[in-house]
Amino acid sequence: MKKILSVFLAGILAATMLAGCAQGGTASSQAPSKAPSDASKKDVKLTFMTNVVGEQASALEKVLKDFEKETGYTVEFSAPGKSYEELMKTKMSSNELPDLFTTHGWSVARYSEYLEPVNDMPFAKDISSQMKPVISDKQGKMYVLPMDSDIAGIVYNVDVLNDAGVRVYDIKTWADFEAACEKIKAKGVSPIHMGGKDSWTIGQFGDWVAPSIFVTDEKNNKRADLKAGKFDPKTWEKVAGLMDKWTKAGYFNKDVLTSDYNSDVEALANKKAAFEFYGNSTIVDARKINKDANLGMMPIPSNSPDDKPSLIAGERIAVGVWKDSPQKAAAIELLNYLAKPEVMSQVATASGNPAGLNGVDSNIGDIKTYYEKYKDVKTFPYFDREYLPSGMWDVMCSTGADILAGKDNAVVNAGKIMQQNFNDKFSQK
Amino acid sequence: MKTESKNVWRTLLALFIAVVYLAPIYILICVALKSPSDVSSYWKFPAQINWTNFDTAIHEGGILLALSNSTFITVCSVFLIVICGAFAAYPLARRRTRLNKGIKSFILGIMMVPPLSILVSLYSTMVQIHGVNSYWGIIMVLVTFELPLSVYLYSNFISSIPRALDEAASIDGCGPVRTFFVIILPQLKPVTASVVILTGIHCWNDYQFSLYMLQKPSMKSVSLAISSFFSQTTSNLNAATAGALLAILPVILMFLFLQKYFIKGMVDSAVK
Amino acid sequence: MRKKFHSQAIINLFYIPAILLFLIFVVFPLIKGVFLSFTNWNGYSQKYSMVGLANYIRFFTDNNVGTAFINTIIYGFGSTFLQTVLGLSFALLLNHKFRGRSVCRAIIYMPVMIAPLIMGYIMYFFVTYDRGAINDILALFGKEAVDWMSDGTRAVFIIMLINAFQFVGVSMVIYLAGLQSIPTMYYEAASIDGVGPWQGLRYITLPMLMPAISSAVMINLIGGLKLFDVIMALTGGGPGYASNSLSTLVQRTYFGSENAGYASAIGLLTFLFIMLISNFFIKRFDKREVTM
Repeated sequence: MKKILSVFLAGILAATMLAGCAQGGTASSQAPSKAPSDASKKDVKLTFMTNVVGEQASALEKVLKDFEKETGYTVEFSAPGKSYEELMKTKMSSNELPDLFTTHGWSVARYSEYLEPVNDMPFAKDISSQMKPVISDKQGKMYVLPMDSDIAGIVYNVDVLNDAGVRVYDIKTWADFEAACEKIKAKGVSPIHMGGKDSWTIGQFGDWVAPSIFVTDEKNNKRADLKAGKFDPKTWEKVAGLMDKWTKAGYFNKDVLTSDYNSDVEALANKKAAFEFYGNSTIVDARKINKDANLGMMPIPSNSPDDKPSLIAGERIAVGVWKDSPQKAAAIELLNYLAKPEVMSQVATASGNPAGLNGVDSNIGDIKTYYEKYKDVKTFPYFDREYLPSGMWDVMCSTGADILAGKDNAVVNAGKIMQQNFNDKFSQK
Repeated sequence: MKTESKNVWRTLLALFIAVVYLAPIYILICVALKSPSDVSSYWKFPAQINWTNFDTAIHEGGILLALSNSTFITVCSVFLIVICGAFAAYPLARRRTRLNKGIKSFILGIMMVPPLSILVSLYSTMVQIHGVNSYWGIIMVLVTFELPLSVYLYSNFISSIPRALDEAASIDGCGPVRTFFVIILPQLKPVTASVVILTGIHCWNDYQFSLYMLQKPSMKSVSLAISSFFSQTTSNLNAATAGALLAILPVILMFLFLQKYFIKGMVDSAVK
Repeated sequence: MRKKFHSQAIINLFYIPAILLFLIFVVFPLIKGVFLSFTNWNGYSQKYSMVGLANYIRFFTDNNVGTAFINTIIYGFGSTFLQTVLGLSFALLLNHKFRGRSVCRAIIYMPVMIAPLIMGYIMYFFVTYDRGAINDILALFGKEAVDWMSDGTRAVFIIMLINAFQFVGVSMVIYLAGLQSIPTMYYEAASIDGVGPWQGLRYITLPMLMPAISSAVMINLIGGLKLFDVIMALTGGGPGYASNSLSTLVQRTYFGSENAGYASAIGLLTFLFIMLISNFFIKRFDKREVTM
């Protein structure tokens, strides 16, 4: 037996050495594969990082390859997926950012202090009118090139609504929405599906509902207050109150606290849910499960009958240049390359969204009909990105979970906790 | 006669316990072998075995890459844990000065504390010294937090080696350093097996450190690959489960073949 | 004499590498953590300012901290209790010679090998509402499905159970080793005196097992108080903050709500709290050994 053990240990030692060599080997062989043989031609090596994955990442990678061919530069592309945000925080804290990176909705609030303004670049005048306000800071400075634009409403299953006799066009206010939920519930389908285990799914509720109460009503809104650092807990109680009301009315799925985003997608695809508070990418996801799913997108109802439904506009794939990049000239060259219509169109098509510059087409199938239908609906930015200081998202999620769990005073507490965190983080800004 | 009927009861009871303990593994296997479109009860063994889940786990989940990353990290860490631990234990076991006693209780203290309590500053320190997203970074952190266990086991073991041996060596003209290499080191084999097994399992299964120290997809450890596979938007649960099965297979197999050493290692760590 | 001292002291050099590691990766971060705990750093920005004791004041008024604190105690002491009782029962059962006992021992110990994270994911299949394995069994008896993890308190107890279930093997093998080291002549002598099995357990087995029990308790306690992976896999600390342990709370406060300064303060107080608890037990543990 002792022999077996010593063989085992020896084996481990040998494996260490082998693995060590193997590891060293792959590490060194990776570098040249990224730098084509003409490395001597130009010593420019750019790094490009993005949060997007899958189709969209491959599309980006392809256009970067084309760029390499055209210029002889080397572009190191990386798409770390879920860990992107943490990775970027690490890089920000050590002040070493990639030469170019995508900003996933935070070009102004989080990344602007690290980014080169793009206002004077040739493509700036072509940025679509929907995207312009989204990516501008208070002084009107913009920091990124929007490759596509994110216009989001409530996604729904058309068949479920038809079965329940609900007509989307009749839903103008939250009261109409509730009436629709009531009809759907009577059919034994859960009106709203939310996978609360993932936490961010609960935050979505805030982003989808809060604008109708805080922002969209031209005659009665809190935009100026929020911008000035005043957060009214009573108004937030109205947002939280809707969630509470719908929880008690049974509009959410029964396992709202323990199911996850996957189950949301599955429910939407398989007619087990009517509405979900996600962007259009959920439609794409649901079609992967059931390619015949009959899905649609509608504007978000207003709170007051005097107001009108709205849509949410945000940046999706937006690329910025690090202002302290040692290769800034080359990085800007690449940014302008990405702004070319034929290049941008490839990326926007992969994302299933309209392009971010005027005059650039993307090929996005039936989702396009919804964009065209709701072309004139007014759009507002994502609530948390525009009006809340960074770091509030988690607070929105956790206070929401308390409401879904039916805790005592959860609604009032939500207002209080939101206000306290808002004040702390606002003063820090 | 009486003992025989008692033994039947014991066997039945043991069988019941075994069934309860095997249930999670059974469900793991069932889910891993089912096609994603099969929505029958988890308890039901798949009517048709679907191997494509493993294919997906390997190709989309990058499980093989993760397995090799984890092997590399584990082997390097364990190697250092053994070396540093055995060396550090020698003076702590043999020279019981006040300083050394203090150091020993400090080291044991570290064993008790949840490493995440210093997450913020540990992580920002790692960022400063560029240890995040590097193999050496995660290895150093794992070594540091597994070292106390190793020091503890080695120093207990060395204390049990009779001092007379050291003294004999010193009469023969051996200095303390040579004594260590000639007298002590060769005797450490059994306890080294325990250290390797216990800390190896911990390093292999680590999640809390890798979660922050290894953010690059190409460096993912097994735990990270599994967790991101499970939590991916629109993930394929069956394939993720197949990945989990692949991840625990190496340790389970090793356990089944070297059971005696695993259990002995555990007992050594607890009973002096 | 002096020369001997010097040559002896040389071996102290052997622990220098270990000490260096601890200085760089434990002591230095600890000191830095104390500094950070007085700031409002968000975790990545280059800018932050000193906020005095604000983070510490907040610690003692924060409900989420209170919940995490109680949960940590439950995870630590609750699973330790279960593991002691179950581990001892399993060990007593498997200490008898009967068919299949070594297989059973291996099966109970096997989950110890499995990463707690993966154990969490496996258990998720048991406790989900939709198609959950436990709900399927309930359905057999005509009972209605339960959404097990939706209630914070229940989630905490389920996580504790899972942790105990997974690691009971550790206690079991320690107790088995302890039982096997008790000379059988004690029992023989006792049975001659007419002592029954229960009294044998009470007056011979348990006292003789005390050292094994105290070390198993120590190991379980450390494991339970550090609990992190299973929680992340099963609930992520939710619903809301209801099932957080202090460890998951620190990571969530740091990366989720971007309160690195506050997270640092929570971490340091956790560090102190657990140091105190374990010191208390180590002292008792050491005393036992002296008396043995």
